[in-house]
Amino acid sequence: MLRKLWDLFIAFTRASNLGFGGGPAVIPLIQAEAVDRYKWMDNDEYADALAIGNALPGPIATKMAAYVGYKVAGWLGVITAIIATIAPTILVVVLLGSLIMTYADSPELKAMLLAVRPVVVVLIAYTAYQMGKKSFPQASTWALAIATVGILALTSIHPAFIIVSSMIVGYFAWGRKLSK
Amino acid sequence: MLGEFWDLFIAFIRASNLGFGGGPAVIPLIQTEAVNNYHWITNEQFVDALAVTNALPGPIATKLAGYIGYQVLGWPGVLAALLGTIGPTTLAIVLLTNILMKYTDSPGLKGALKGVRPVVVVLVAQTAFEMGLESFPNIITWAIAAVTAASLFWFKIHPAILIVLSLIFGLLVFQ
Repeated sequence: MLRKLWDLFIAFTRASNLGFGGGPAVIPLIQAEAVDRYKWMDNDEYADALAIGNALPGPIATKMAAYVGYKVAGWLGVITAIIATIAPTILVVVLLGSLIMTYADSPELKAMLLAVRPVVVVLIAYTAYQMGKKSFPQASTWALAIATVGILALTSIHPAFIIVSSMIVGYFAWGRKLSK
Repeated sequence: MLGEFWDLFIAFIRASNLGFGGGPAVIPLIQTEAVNNYHWITNEQFVDALAVTNALPGPIATKLAGYIGYQVLGWPGVLAALLGTIGPTTLAIVLLTNILMKYTDSPGLKGALKGVRPVVVVLVAQTAFEMGLESFPNIITWAIAAVTAASLFWFKIHPAILIVLSLIFGLLVFQ
C-alpha cells in the first residue's frame, strides 16, 4: 500500500510539474505515467476517464488525479495524487505572490510587471484563439458567441447565467436532434 | 475571518464548477469573482497573478486559487479556495463514475457542451480584452505584445520563456 501511494505521488509530481500551460497540458503526461509506465490502466480506460473529466466542469488535471488515485489506492490514493499535482506549484505561487505584495512599491518590480502584462494579455488571447479553433463547428455556434458578446457588452449579468443558458440552448438545439 | 473563508469557498465553487474546458476556462470566472464581485484584487493584480501562474507548470485554476486565497486570508484562504475549486468535481468523479460513464456519450450532454464552448471562448477573449485595457500604457508595451504574438504563432516559443524574458526586458528598459 505504501509503495502504491509513493508511486502515485512520484507519478503525479512528475506529470504535473513538467506540464506548462495549465491542466490540459498535463493530460498526456498523466497518460504516460498511468498507462505506459505504471500500467494502472489501459488506453481505453484512460480515454473513458478523460471523457468523464471533460464532461465535468473545473480543472481537468485534478479530476484525472482523483480518478487514477482512487483506482490505484482508494481515498488515500485520491489525496496523494491530488497533493502531488497541486502542492508544489501552490507553494511557489504563494511565495512569489507574497514577494510581489511585499515589494509592490519597488521600482524594479514595477518595471518588470509593466513589461510582463502585455505578454500575459497575449497569452490569454492566444488561449481563447486555440479554444476557438475547436469550438465553432457550424454557423449556429457563431450565433451563440455573438449573442454572448452582446450580452456582456450591454448588461452586467453574471457569466454563470450565460453559461447555464447556453447549455440549455445546446441541449435543445443539438442534444435531441442527435438522439433521433 | 469566517465570513471571508466562506466567501472564498463560495466564490471558487462558483467559478470552478461553471467552467467547462479545464482550468483555462475557469480564468474568466475567477476574474469575475475576485475582481468584480468581491473586490479582493484589482484587474492589474489579477494580470500579475496570471503572469506568476503562467510562468509555472501544473494546473492553472488551483494555482490561481492558491494565489488569491493567500492574499485574502493567508493559508486558511488557500485551503478555502482550493476546496471550492477541486472538492465538488473530485467527489463527483470518484463517487459517480458509473453514472457519469453512461452520460458521457449521451446526445443531450454533448449538445449542452457544444452550446457552452463558444461562450467559454468569448469569456476568455473578454478577459484578455479587459486585462488589455490597463496593460498598454505606452508604445513599448504594444511592441512587447506584437513580439509575443509573433513568437507564439510562428516560432512556438514556450510561454514560460516569454514571461521570464519580458521580466528581464522590463527590468532593463522601464526602470
